[in-house]
Amino acid sequence: MATKVLSVDDSRTIRLIVGRAFKPYDCEMVEACNGEEGLAAAAREKPDLIILDVTMPIMDGVTMLTRLKEDEALKAIPVIMLTAESGRENVLHIAKLGVRDYLVKPFKEDQLIEKVGRVISLQKKAAVPA
Amino acid sequence: MTRHLVDVFETMVSMQASLQPMADIPLFESRVTGSVGFAGANVTGAVYLHMSAPFATTFAAAMLGLKPAEISDDNEVNDVIGEAANMVTGGLKSWLCDAGTDCAMSTPAIIRGKSFSIEPAPEVEREWLVFECDKNFIVVEIHIKLN
Repeated sequence: MATKVLSVDDSRTIRLIVGRAFKPYDCEMVEACNGEEGLAAAAREKPDLIILDVTMPIMDGVTMLTRLKEDEALKAIPVIMLTAESGRENVLHIAKLGVRDYLVKPFKEDQLIEKVGRVISLQKKAAVPA
Repeated sequence: MTRHLVDVFETMVSMQASLQPMADIPLFESRVTGSVGFAGANVTGAVYLHMSAPFATTFAAAMLGLKPAEISDDNEVNDVIGEAANMVTGGLKSWLCDAGTDCAMSTPAIIRGKSFSIEPAPEVEREWLVFECDKNFIVVEIHIKLN
């Protein structure tokens, strides 16, 4: 069964880059464009991993993460946060919320996959016979 | 800030941007500007990332893995330029945060048009950084007020 990854970001560009990073792997991508939609998608889809942006309209990533960790059914889902802010305080704040890892933008796709690979097992897609 | 913009271009689109010596601010015939505000107890301001509309399309195409001709919708360009402005502002916010001046960032906004200027509010300092990338100019305009 494919690994299910939920990408929560208000930027379509970032969701596209995240999706492209996972393309070589046996992953099913699910997308949401704010924390509110992200929580609903997490409850509905039960993803194996959430890639979560920090700054988003309607509900930001920090609020979504806090709600996720308060929910018995969802709190075990590992979360990797994407943030444009690498300041010490910001990183400490994110770490305290219970994220498994974080990645500072700008990032390369292989950096994301490397971080994800430390949290969940990724399987390369089987080659299609010619 | 300079290093951060160079990183954004290098990491996200494999383009080399270099800081230009202080010169006249380039005029763009048609311009796309991404802006992100920041505000905290001791600081307020905004970062504006300006580039010509044709170069904004080239930049967006590179970020999305497309050819410029395949970009048919301004919204695709707007989203990319907004995200780039977000990343550049994130660098400034991190620096402010590490200097003990924490603040929060807004989501990006886009301005498109010809012959417009952005005037700072009273008591707001304005800085310009001009970069060149593949014979195109990118201007970072920073408005900042320390309380």
